[in-house]
Amino acid sequence: MKRIICVSLTIVALSMALVQAQELGRRLGGSNGPTPTTAEANRPAPKLADGTIDLSGVWTGGGGEEIGRLLKPGELDTILLPHTKKLMQSRNDGMDPYNYCLPGGPLRITGGFGWRLVQHPTVNAKYIFMLQEGNAHTYRQIFMDGRKHPVDPSPTWYGHSIGHWEGPTLVVDTIGLNDKFWLDGSGIQHTEQLHLVERWTRTDYTTMKREVTIEDPGAFTRPFTVTYTARLGTPESEIFEYICIENNQYGLAQGLQPPVKGEK
Amino acid sequence: MIRYFQFAFVLAALGLSLAAQSKEPPLPTRLGGDNGPRPAAAVPGRAIPRLPDGTIDFNGVWSGGGPVGDIGQQGGLKPGYLESIMTPSAKALYAKRSEAQDPYNYCMPAGVPRMAADFAWRLVQYPTTKPTHIFLLYEGNMHSFRQIFMDGRKHPVDPTPTWFGHSIGHWEKDTLVVDTIGFNDKFWFDRRGTPHTEQLHTIERWARPEFTKLTRVVTIDDPGAFTRPFDVRFTAELGSPDSEILEYICIENNQYGLPGGHDYNPVGK
Repeated sequence: MKRIICVSLTIVALSMALVQAQELGRRLGGSNGPTPTTAEANRPAPKLADGTIDLSGVWTGGGGEEIGRLLKPGELDTILLPHTKKLMQSRNDGMDPYNYCLPGGPLRITGGFGWRLVQHPTVNAKYIFMLQEGNAHTYRQIFMDGRKHPVDPSPTWYGHSIGHWEGPTLVVDTIGLNDKFWLDGSGIQHTEQLHLVERWTRTDYTTMKREVTIEDPGAFTRPFTVTYTARLGTPESEIFEYICIENNQYGLAQGLQPPVKGEK
Repeated sequence: MIRYFQFAFVLAALGLSLAAQSKEPPLPTRLGGDNGPRPAAAVPGRAIPRLPDGTIDFNGVWSGGGPVGDIGQQGGLKPGYLESIMTPSAKALYAKRSEAQDPYNYCMPAGVPRMAADFAWRLVQYPTTKPTHIFLLYEGNMHSFRQIFMDGRKHPVDPTPTWFGHSIGHWEKDTLVVDTIGFNDKFWFDRRGTPHTEQLHTIERWARPEFTKLTRVVTIDDPGAFTRPFDVRFTAELGSPDSEILEYICIENNQYGLPGGHDYNPVGK
Protein backbone atom coordinates (compact mmCIF):
# COMPACT_ATOMS: atom_id res chain seq x y z
CA MET A 1 0.00 0.00 0.00
CA LYS A 2 2.75 2.34 1.02
CA ARG A 3 4.69 1.55 -2.12
CA ILE A 4 1.65 2.04 -4.33
CA ILE A 5 0.93 5.35 -2.67
CA CYS A 6 4.58 6.39 -3.06
CA VAL A 7 4.52 5.58 -6.76
CA SER A 8 1.23 7.30 -7.38
CA LEU A 9 2.35 10.27 -5.34
CA THR A 10 5.49 10.48 -7.44
CA ILE A 11 3.41 10.39 -10.61
CA VAL A 12 1.07 13.03 -9.24
CA ALA A 13 4.02 15.12 -8.11
CA LEU A 14 5.74 14.81 -11.48
CA SER A 15 2.69 15.74 -13.48
CA MET A 16 2.02 18.62 -11.14
CA ALA A 17 5.60 19.79 -11.57
CA LEU A 18 5.21 19.72 -15.32
CA VAL A 19 1.90 21.49 -15.33
CA GLN A 20 2.24 23.98 -12.57
CA ALA A 21 5.45 24.20 -10.58
CA GLN A 22 4.03 26.54 -7.98
CA GLU A 23 1.38 23.97 -7.04
CA LEU A 24 3.97 21.66 -5.52
CA GLY A 25 3.95 21.39 -1.78
CA ARG A 26 0.48 22.79 -1.49
CA ARG A 27 -0.47 19.82 0.68
CA LEU A 28 1.39 18.55 3.71
CA GLY A 29 2.29 14.88 3.77
CA GLY A 30 0.61 13.89 0.50
CA SER A 31 -2.06 14.80 -1.99
CA ASN A 32 -4.80 14.38 0.61
CA GLY A 33 -2.92 16.16 3.40
CA PRO A 34 -3.86 19.52 4.91
CA THR A 35 -2.76 22.73 3.26
CA PRO A 36 0.28 24.20 5.03
CA THR A 37 -0.02 27.46 6.86
CA THR A 38 2.80 29.73 5.75
CA ALA A 39 1.67 33.32 6.09
CA GLU A 40 1.57 33.16 9.85
CA ALA A 41 4.93 31.47 10.42
CA ASN A 42 6.41 34.50 12.17
CA ARG A 43 3.63 34.84 14.67
CA PRO A 44 4.41 33.52 18.15
CA ALA A 45 2.78 30.33 19.37
CA PRO A 46 -0.73 31.10 20.65
CA LYS A 47 -1.58 30.69 24.32
CA LEU A 48 -4.69 29.46 26.04
CA ALA A 49 -6.46 31.49 28.73
CA ASP A 50 -4.60 29.55 31.46
CA GLY A 51 -1.26 30.61 29.99
CA THR A 52 -0.27 27.24 28.51
CA ILE A 53 0.74 27.03 24.88
CA ASP A 54 -2.11 26.16 22.53
CA LEU A 55 -0.92 23.14 20.59
CA SER A 56 -4.32 22.37 19.10
CA GLY A 57 -4.92 22.13 15.40
CA VAL A 58 -4.47 19.82 12.46
CA TRP A 59 -0.81 18.86 12.07
CA THR A 60 1.20 16.71 9.70
CA GLY A 61 4.34 14.79 10.51
CA GLY A 62 6.22 14.65 13.77
CA GLY A 63 6.95 10.98 14.15
CA GLY A 64 6.89 8.90 10.99
CA GLU A 65 10.48 9.07 9.81
CA GLU A 66 12.98 6.23 9.97
CA ILE A 67 14.89 6.67 13.20
CA GLY A 68 18.28 5.83 11.65
CA ARG A 69 17.99 8.83 9.36
CA LEU A 70 17.45 11.16 12.31
CA LEU A 71 20.68 10.02 13.99
CA LYS A 72 24.31 10.60 13.02
CA PRO A 73 25.65 8.17 10.39
CA GLY A 74 26.48 4.89 12.11
CA GLU A 75 24.99 5.93 15.42
CA LEU A 76 22.06 3.51 15.26
CA ASP A 77 24.53 0.62 15.06
CA THR A 78 25.98 1.57 18.43
CA ILE A 79 22.52 1.76 19.99
CA LEU A 80 20.99 -1.55 18.91
CA LEU A 81 21.65 -4.58 21.09
CA PRO A 82 22.86 -7.58 19.03
CA HIS A 83 19.49 -9.36 19.06
CA THR A 84 17.70 -6.11 18.16
CA LYS A 85 20.00 -5.68 15.17
CA LYS A 86 19.46 -9.29 14.10
CA LEU A 87 15.69 -8.99 14.33
CA MET A 88 15.69 -5.71 12.43
CA GLN A 89 17.74 -7.26 9.63
CA SER A 90 15.26 -10.13 9.36
CA ARG A 91 12.33 -7.75 8.97
CA ASN A 92 11.02 -6.26 5.77
CA ASP A 93 8.36 -3.76 4.85
CA GLY A 94 5.88 -6.55 4.17
CA MET A 95 5.96 -7.58 7.82
CA ASP A 96 5.19 -4.18 9.33
CA PRO A 97 2.02 -4.45 11.47
CA TYR A 98 1.25 -0.84 10.50
CA ASN A 99 0.70 -1.99 6.92
CA TYR A 100 -1.95 -4.37 8.22
CA CYS A 101 -3.92 -1.51 9.81
CA LEU A 102 -2.73 -1.99 13.37
CA PRO A 103 -2.00 1.11 15.46
CA GLY A 104 1.38 2.71 14.87
CA GLY A 105 2.17 3.36 18.53
CA PRO A 106 2.91 6.78 20.03
CA LEU A 107 5.52 7.81 17.44
CA ARG A 108 3.91 6.75 14.19
CA ILE A 109 0.42 8.04 15.03
CA THR A 110 1.74 11.29 13.55
CA GLY A 111 3.15 9.79 10.36
CA GLY A 112 1.75 9.86 6.85
CA PHE A 113 -1.66 11.35 7.58
CA GLY A 114 -3.01 14.54 9.06
CA TRP A 115 -3.70 14.38 12.79
CA ARG A 116 -5.50 16.66 15.19
CA LEU A 117 -4.30 17.64 18.64
CA VAL A 118 -7.10 18.37 21.12
CA GLN A 119 -6.56 19.92 24.56
CA HIS A 120 -9.59 19.08 26.67
CA PRO A 121 -11.07 20.97 28.38
CA THR A 122 -9.49 23.84 26.54
CA VAL A 123 -8.45 25.58 29.75
CA ASN A 124 -6.73 23.57 32.50
CA ALA A 125 -6.79 20.57 30.21
CA LYS A 126 -7.08 17.16 31.82
CA TYR A 127 -6.52 15.37 28.53
CA ILE A 128 -4.70 15.74 25.30
CA PHE A 129 -6.09 13.64 22.48
CA MET A 130 -4.29 12.96 19.24
CA LEU A 131 -6.76 11.93 16.54
CA GLN A 132 -5.19 10.28 13.51
CA GLU A 133 -6.86 10.46 10.09
CA GLY A 134 -5.22 7.18 9.10
CA ASN A 135 -3.87 4.55 9.25
CA ALA A 136 -6.02 2.85 11.84
CA HIS A 137 -8.19 6.01 12.14
CA THR A 138 -7.69 5.87 15.87
CA TYR A 139 -6.63 8.12 18.73
CA ARG A 140 -4.15 8.39 21.55
CA GLN A 141 -4.87 9.93 24.95
CA ILE A 142 -2.49 11.71 27.31
CA PHE A 143 -3.54 12.32 30.91
CA MET A 144 -2.81 15.88 32.05
CA ASP A 145 -4.47 15.76 35.48
CA GLY A 146 -1.36 14.97 37.49
CA ARG A 147 -1.98 11.25 37.94
CA LYS A 148 0.92 8.82 38.11
CA HIS A 149 1.53 5.76 35.96
CA PRO A 150 -0.13 2.59 37.24
CA VAL A 151 2.32 0.16 38.81
CA ASP A 152 1.97 -2.68 36.33
CA PRO A 153 -0.17 -1.56 33.37
CA SER A 154 -1.45 -4.01 30.76
CA PRO A 155 0.74 -3.44 27.69
CA THR A 156 -1.11 -1.56 24.96
CA TRP A 157 -0.37 -0.02 21.55
CA TYR A 158 -0.33 3.54 22.91
CA GLY A 159 0.70 2.75 26.48
CA HIS A 160 -0.07 4.92 29.51
CA SER A 161 0.85 8.55 28.86
CA ILE A 162 1.03 11.33 31.45
CA GLY A 163 1.92 14.88 30.53
CA HIS A 164 2.94 18.10 32.23
CA TRP A 165 4.25 21.49 31.16
CA GLU A 166 7.83 22.69 31.64
CA GLY A 167 7.59 26.31 30.57
CA PRO A 168 6.42 26.30 26.96
CA THR A 169 7.23 22.61 26.50
CA LEU A 170 4.75 19.79 26.88
CA VAL A 171 6.53 16.80 28.42
CA VAL A 172 4.84 13.42 27.94
CA ASP A 173 6.04 10.30 29.73
CA THR A 174 4.82 6.94 28.42
CA ILE A 175 5.22 3.38 29.69
CA GLY A 176 3.04 0.28 29.43
CA LEU A 177 3.61 -0.19 25.70
CA ASN A 178 3.32 -3.56 24.00
CA ASP A 179 6.13 -4.89 21.81
CA LYS A 180 3.93 -5.45 18.76
CA PHE A 181 4.24 -2.19 16.85
CA TRP A 182 7.43 -1.13 15.12
CA LEU A 183 9.04 2.14 16.18
CA ASP A 184 9.45 3.04 12.50
CA GLY A 185 9.20 1.62 9.01
CA SER A 186 12.73 0.24 9.20
CA GLY A 187 11.60 -2.35 11.75
CA ILE A 188 13.43 -1.24 14.88
CA GLN A 189 12.37 -3.66 17.57
CA HIS A 190 11.56 -2.76 21.15
CA THR A 191 10.32 -4.59 24.23
CA GLU A 192 7.63 -3.97 26.83
CA GLN A 193 10.32 -2.12 28.82
CA LEU A 194 10.06 0.76 26.33
CA HIS A 195 9.88 4.17 27.99
CA LEU A 196 9.33 7.30 25.94
CA VAL A 197 9.78 10.88 27.06
CA GLU A 198 8.44 13.33 24.48
CA ARG A 199 9.09 17.05 24.62
CA TRP A 200 6.70 18.99 22.40
CA THR A 201 7.56 22.64 21.71
CA ARG A 202 5.79 24.96 19.32
CA THR A 203 8.86 26.79 18.06
CA ASP A 204 6.85 29.13 15.89
CA TYR A 205 3.24 29.43 14.84
CA THR A 206 3.41 26.74 12.19
CA THR A 207 6.07 24.40 13.54
CA MET A 208 6.12 21.93 16.40
CA LYS A 209 9.37 20.32 17.47
CA ARG A 210 9.12 16.91 19.08
CA GLU A 211 12.18 15.57 20.87
CA VAL A 212 11.73 11.98 21.95
CA THR A 213 14.04 10.17 24.31
CA ILE A 214 13.74 6.46 23.69
CA GLU A 215 14.80 4.13 26.47
CA ASP A 216 14.52 0.36 26.41
CA PRO A 217 17.19 -1.73 28.14
CA GLY A 218 15.69 -4.79 26.46
CA ALA A 219 16.48 -3.47 22.99
CA PHE A 220 19.03 -0.63 23.15
CA THR A 221 22.49 -0.14 24.68
CA ARG A 222 21.52 3.30 26.00
CA PRO A 223 18.73 5.88 25.88
CA PHE A 224 18.87 8.08 22.79
CA THR A 225 17.01 11.11 21.50
CA VAL A 226 15.52 11.83 18.11
CA THR A 227 13.90 15.06 16.94
CA TYR A 228 10.86 15.22 14.68
CA THR A 229 9.06 18.22 13.26
CA ALA A 230 5.32 18.63 12.70
CA ARG A 231 3.80 21.34 10.51
CA LEU A 232 0.49 23.09 11.03
CA GLY A 233 -2.34 22.89 8.52
CA THR A 234 -4.47 25.91 7.67
CA PRO A 235 -7.25 26.75 10.16
CA GLU A 236 -9.91 25.18 7.94
CA SER A 237 -8.06 21.86 7.77
CA GLU A 238 -10.02 18.82 8.84
CA ILE A 239 -9.00 15.24 9.23
CA PHE A 240 -10.77 12.89 6.87
CA GLU A 241 -12.00 9.37 7.45
CA TYR A 242 -9.47 6.80 6.31
CA ILE A 243 -10.30 3.22 7.28
CA CYS A 244 -7.27 1.06 6.55
CA ILE A 245 -9.01 -2.26 7.11
CA GLU A 246 -11.62 -1.44 4.51
CA ASN A 247 -10.33 -3.30 1.49
CA ASN A 248 -6.64 -3.08 2.41
CA GLN A 249 -4.62 -4.16 -0.63
CA TYR A 250 -1.38 -4.61 1.23
CA GLY A 251 -0.31 -8.03 2.47
CA LEU A 252 -1.85 -11.18 1.08
CA ALA A 253 -3.34 -9.32 -1.88
CA GLN A 254 0.22 -8.52 -2.95
CA GLY A 255 1.63 -11.90 -2.10
CA LEU A 256 3.18 -10.76 1.16
CA GLN A 257 3.19 -12.85 4.30
CA PRO A 258 1.16 -11.18 7.04
CA PRO A 259 3.24 -11.07 10.18
CA VAL A 260 0.63 -9.63 12.48
CA LYS A 261 1.68 -11.79 15.41
CA GLY A 262 5.22 -10.53 14.99
CA GLU A 263 8.28 -12.68 15.18
CA LYS A 264 9.92 -13.41 18.47
CA MET B 1 -23.44 -30.47 57.85
CA ILE B 2 -25.31 -29.96 54.59
CA ARG B 3 -28.41 -28.99 56.49
CA TYR B 4 -26.41 -26.52 58.55
CA PHE B 5 -25.18 -24.83 55.37
CA GLN B 6 -28.68 -24.69 53.99
CA PHE B 7 -29.89 -23.09 57.18
CA ALA B 8 -27.10 -20.54 57.10
CA PHE B 9 -27.86 -19.83 53.45
CA VAL B 10 -31.53 -19.21 54.17
CA LEU B 11 -30.58 -16.86 56.96
CA ALA B 12 -28.20 -15.00 54.65
CA ALA B 13 -30.84 -14.76 51.94
CA LEU B 14 -33.35 -13.48 54.45
CA GLY B 15 -30.86 -10.90 55.61
CA LEU B 16 -30.28 -9.81 52.02
CA SER B 17 -33.95 -9.52 51.25
CA LEU B 18 -34.49 -7.46 54.40
CA ALA B 19 -31.61 -5.22 53.38
CA ALA B 20 -33.05 -4.92 49.88
CA GLN B 21 -36.39 -3.80 51.26
CA SER B 22 -34.81 -1.03 53.28
CA LYS B 23 -32.56 0.32 50.50
CA GLU B 24 -32.57 1.04 46.79
CA PRO B 25 -31.60 -1.97 44.69
CA PRO B 26 -27.82 -2.08 44.29
CA LEU B 27 -26.41 -0.38 41.21
CA PRO B 28 -24.78 -2.61 38.64
CA THR B 29 -21.04 -2.52 39.21
CA ARG B 30 -20.26 -1.71 35.57
CA LEU B 31 -22.24 -0.13 32.75
CA GLY B 32 -22.53 -2.20 29.61
CA GLY B 33 -20.36 -5.12 30.65
CA ASP B 34 -17.52 -6.36 32.80
CA ASN B 35 -15.10 -3.81 31.41
CA GLY B 36 -17.53 -0.89 31.26
CA PRO B 37 -17.31 2.25 33.39
CA ARG B 38 -18.80 2.39 36.86
CA PRO B 39 -22.10 4.27 36.82
CA ALA B 40 -22.09 7.85 38.03
CA ALA B 41 -24.11 8.37 41.20
CA ALA B 42 -27.54 9.78 40.43
CA VAL B 43 -28.24 12.73 42.68
CA PRO B 44 -31.94 13.74 42.43
CA GLY B 45 -32.36 17.36 41.48
CA ARG B 46 -28.73 17.83 40.54
CA ALA B 47 -28.43 20.59 37.94
CA ILE B 48 -27.47 19.68 34.40
CA PRO B 49 -23.99 21.11 33.83
CA ARG B 50 -23.47 23.85 31.26
CA LEU B 51 -20.44 25.09 29.39
CA PRO B 52 -19.30 28.70 29.90
CA ASP B 53 -21.25 29.69 26.77
CA GLY B 54 -24.48 28.37 28.33
CA THR B 55 -24.92 25.25 26.19
CA ILE B 56 -25.46 21.90 27.84
CA ASP B 57 -22.27 20.11 28.83
CA PHE B 58 -22.29 16.58 27.41
CA ASN B 59 -18.62 15.92 28.14
CA GLY B 60 -17.85 12.66 29.86
CA VAL B 61 -17.63 8.92 29.52
CA TRP B 62 -20.95 7.35 28.54
CA SER B 63 -22.24 3.86 27.96
CA GLY B 64 -25.01 2.80 25.57
CA GLY B 65 -27.16 5.20 23.55
CA GLY B 66 -27.60 3.28 20.33
CA PRO B 67 -28.75 0.01 18.81
CA VAL B 68 -26.70 -3.14 19.01
CA GLY B 69 -28.70 -6.29 18.36
CA ASP B 70 -32.00 -4.94 16.99
CA ILE B 71 -32.56 -1.28 16.10
CA GLY B 72 -36.34 -1.65 16.03
CA GLN B 73 -36.74 -3.42 19.34
CA GLN B 74 -34.06 -1.41 21.15
CA GLY B 75 -35.28 1.82 19.59
CA GLY B 76 -38.82 1.36 20.87
CA LEU B 77 -40.64 0.26 17.70
CA LYS B 78 -43.32 -2.42 17.50
CA PRO B 79 -42.10 -5.87 16.45
CA GLY B 80 -42.24 -6.21 12.69
CA TYR B 81 -42.70 -2.49 12.02
CA LEU B 82 -39.39 -1.96 10.25
CA GLU B 83 -39.90 -5.00 8.05
CA SER B 84 -43.31 -3.57 7.11
CA ILE B 85 -41.81 -0.32 5.81
CA MET B 86 -38.75 -1.78 4.06
CA THR B 87 -38.51 -1.35 0.33
CA PRO B 88 -38.48 -4.64 -1.62
CA SER B 89 -34.72 -4.39 -2.29
CA ALA B 90 -34.00 -3.69 1.39
CA LYS B 91 -36.22 -6.57 2.43
CA ALA B 92 -34.43 -8.93 0.06
CA LEU B 93 -31.03 -7.82 1.36
CA TYR B 94 -32.18 -8.13 4.97
CA ALA B 95 -33.43 -11.68 4.37
CA LYS B 96 -30.03 -12.74 3.06
CA ARG B 97 -27.99 -11.44 5.98
CA SER B 98 -26.82 -13.41 8.98
CA GLU B 99 -25.07 -12.13 12.08
CA ALA B 100 -21.78 -13.72 11.08
CA GLN B 101 -21.64 -11.36 8.09
CA ASP B 102 -21.93 -8.22 10.21
CA PRO B 103 -18.99 -5.97 9.22
CA TYR B 104 -18.85 -4.83 12.84
CA ASN B 105 -17.70 -8.31 13.83
CA TYR B 106 -14.77 -7.86 11.46
CA CYS B 107 -13.69 -4.66 13.21
CA MET B 108 -15.21 -2.20 10.77
CA PRO B 109 -16.65 1.10 12.08
CA ALA B 110 -20.17 0.92 13.54
CA GLY B 111 -21.54 3.90 11.61
CA VAL B 112 -24.58 5.87 12.83
CA PRO B 113 -26.66 5.39 14.96
CA ARG B 114 -25.07 2.19 16.18
CA MET B 115 -23.06 2.33 19.38
CA ALA B 116 -21.28 -0.49 21.09
CA ALA B 117 -23.25 -1.45 24.16
CA ASP B 118 -20.35 -3.27 25.71
CA PHE B 119 -17.84 -0.48 25.23
CA ALA B 120 -17.74 2.97 26.70
CA TRP B 121 -17.34 6.13 24.64
CA ARG B 122 -16.27 9.66 25.48
CA LEU B 123 -17.96 12.80 24.24
CA VAL B 124 -15.65 15.80 23.77
CA GLN B 125 -16.99 19.28 23.07
CA TYR B 126 -14.10 21.22 21.60
CA PRO B 127 -13.07 23.87 22.35
CA THR B 128 -14.86 24.03 25.66
CA THR B 129 -16.35 27.44 24.92
CA LYS B 130 -18.32 27.80 21.70
CA PRO B 131 -17.29 24.38 20.41
CA THR B 132 -16.48 24.05 16.73
CA HIS B 133 -16.30 20.26 16.95
CA ILE B 134 -17.76 17.41 18.91
CA PHE B 135 -15.73 14.23 18.97
CA LEU B 136 -17.06 10.84 20.01
CA LEU B 137 -14.16 8.62 21.00
CA TYR B 138 -15.05 4.94 21.02
CA GLU B 139 -13.21 2.46 23.23
CA GLY B 140 -14.23 -0.35 20.88
CA ASN B 141 -15.17 -2.18 18.80
CA MET B 142 -12.99 -0.29 16.45
CA HIS B 143 -10.97 2.05 18.66
CA SER B 144 -11.96 4.99 16.48
CA PHE B 145 -13.79 8.31 16.55
CA ARG B 146 -16.61 10.25 14.96
CA GLN B 147 -16.60 14.02 14.46
CA ILE B 148 -19.48 16.47 14.33
CA PHE B 149 -18.93 19.98 12.98
CA MET B 150 -20.47 22.67 15.20
CA ASP B 151 -19.14 25.75 13.40
CA GLY B 152 -22.19 26.41 11.25
CA ARG B 153 -20.85 24.93 8.03
CA LYS B 154 -23.22 23.24 5.57
CA HIS B 155 -23.03 19.73 4.17
CA PRO B 156 -20.90 19.40 1.05
CA VAL B 157 -22.97 18.95 -2.10
CA ASP B 158 -21.83 15.47 -3.04
CA PRO B 159 -19.72 14.03 -0.22
CA THR B 160 -17.68 10.87 -0.65
CA PRO B 161 -19.62 8.20 1.25
CA THR B 162 -17.98 7.28 4.56
CA TRP B 163 -18.72 5.11 7.61
CA PHE B 164 -19.60 8.07 9.84
CA GLY B 165 -20.81 10.42 7.13
CA HIS B 166 -20.71 14.23 7.27
CA SER B 167 -22.25 15.47 10.51
CA ILE B 168 -23.23 19.05 11.33
CA GLY B 169 -24.74 20.04 14.63
CA HIS B 170 -26.59 22.97 16.13
CA TRP B 171 -28.52 23.72 19.30
CA GLU B 172 -32.28 24.03 19.57
CA LYS B 173 -32.55 25.36 23.09
CA ASP B 174 -31.05 22.58 25.21
CA THR B 175 -31.16 19.91 22.54
CA LEU B 176 -28.20 19.16 20.33
CA VAL B 177 -29.44 18.43 16.81
CA VAL B 178 -27.03 16.55 14.56
CA ASP B 179 -27.76 16.19 10.87
CA THR B 180 -25.75 13.60 8.94
CA ILE B 181 -25.56 12.62 5.27
CA GLY B 182 -22.79 11.14 3.14
CA PHE B 183 -22.94 7.65 4.58
CA ASN B 184 -21.69 4.56 2.83
CA ASP B 185 -23.99 1.53 2.73
CA LYS B 186 -21.47 -0.86 4.25
CA PHE B 187 -22.24 -0.77 7.96
CA TRP B 188 -25.29 -2.41 9.47
CA PHE B 189 -27.65 -0.68 11.89
CA ASP B 190 -27.63 -3.77 14.11
CA ARG B 191 -26.59 -7.39 14.33
CA ARG B 192 -29.77 -8.42 12.53
CA GLY B 193 -28.52 -6.63 9.46
CA THR B 194 -31.17 -3.93 9.18
CA PRO B 195 -30.07 -2.34 5.90
CA HIS B 196 -29.72 1.17 4.55
CA THR B 197 -28.43 2.83 1.37
CA GLU B 198 -26.20 5.80 0.59
CA GLN B 199 -29.37 7.92 0.64
CA LEU B 200 -29.42 7.57 4.42
CA HIS B 201 -30.05 10.82 6.28
CA THR B 202 -30.08 10.83 10.08
CA ILE B 203 -31.20 13.58 12.43
CA GLU B 204 -30.15 12.95 16.03
CA ARG B 205 -31.61 14.89 18.96
CA TRP B 206 -29.38 14.63 22.01
CA ALA B 207 -30.63 15.87 25.38
CA ARG B 208 -29.57 15.49 29.00
CA PRO B 209 -32.82 15.29 30.99
CA GLU B 210 -30.97 14.32 34.16
CA PHE B 211 -27.37 14.42 35.27
CA THR B 212 -26.60 10.78 34.53
CA LYS B 213 -28.70 10.28 31.39
CA LEU B 214 -28.37 11.25 27.77
CA THR B 215 -31.39 10.69 25.55
CA ARG B 216 -31.01 10.32 21.83
CA VAL B 217 -33.91 10.36 19.39
CA VAL B 218 -32.79 9.46 15.89
CA THR B 219 -34.89 10.13 12.81
CA ILE B 220 -33.85 7.76 10.06
CA ASP B 221 -34.77 8.79 6.55
CA ASP B 222 -33.63 6.55 3.72
CA PRO B 223 -36.00 6.31 0.76
CA GLY B 224 -33.72 3.64 -0.70
CA ALA B 225 -34.42 1.25 2.18
CA PHE B 226 -37.59 2.45 3.93
CA THR B 227 -40.85 3.73 2.49
CA ARG B 228 -41.11 6.37 5.22
CA PRO B 229 -38.86 7.96 7.88
CA PHE B 230 -39.00 6.58 11.41
CA ASP B 231 -37.75 7.55 14.87
CA VAL B 232 -35.79 5.36 17.28
CA ARG B 233 -35.02 6.31 20.88
CA PHE B 234 -32.05 5.39 23.04
CA THR B 235 -30.59 6.33 26.40
CA ALA B 236 -26.93 6.51 27.39
CA GLU B 237 -25.77 6.39 30.99
CA LEU B 238 -22.95 8.45 32.49
CA GLY B 239 -19.84 6.82 33.89
CA SER B 240 -18.40 7.92 37.23
CA PRO B 241 -16.06 10.95 37.05
CA ASP B 242 -12.95 8.75 37.23
CA SER B 243 -14.01 6.68 34.19
CA GLU B 244 -11.52 6.41 31.37
CA ILE B 245 -11.72 4.91 27.92
CA LEU B 246 -9.51 1.85 27.68
CA GLU B 247 -7.70 0.71 24.56
CA TYR B 248 -9.49 -2.06 22.68
CA ILE B 249 -8.07 -2.94 19.28
CA CYS B 250 -10.50 -5.26 17.51
CA ILE B 251 -8.21 -6.23 14.64
CA GLU B 252 -5.51 -7.42 17.02
CA ASN B 253 -6.04 -11.16 16.93
CA ASN B 254 -9.78 -11.02 16.20
CA GLN B 255 -11.22 -14.49 16.82
CA TYR B 256 -14.50 -13.86 15.08
CA GLY B 257 -14.96 -14.81 11.45
CA LEU B 258 -12.74 -17.43 9.94
CA PRO B 259 -11.30 -18.72 13.23
CA GLY B 260 -14.86 -18.95 14.53
CA GLY B 261 -15.92 -20.90 11.44
CA HIS B 262 -17.93 -18.01 9.97
CA ASP B 263 -18.29 -16.95 6.39
CA TYR B 264 -16.14 -13.88 5.87
CA ASN B 265 -18.12 -11.19 4.11
CA PRO B 266 -17.08 -7.75 5.28
CA VAL B 267 -19.42 -5.94 2.94
CA GLY B 268 -22.41 -8.12 3.70
CA LYS B 269 -24.09 -7.98 0.33
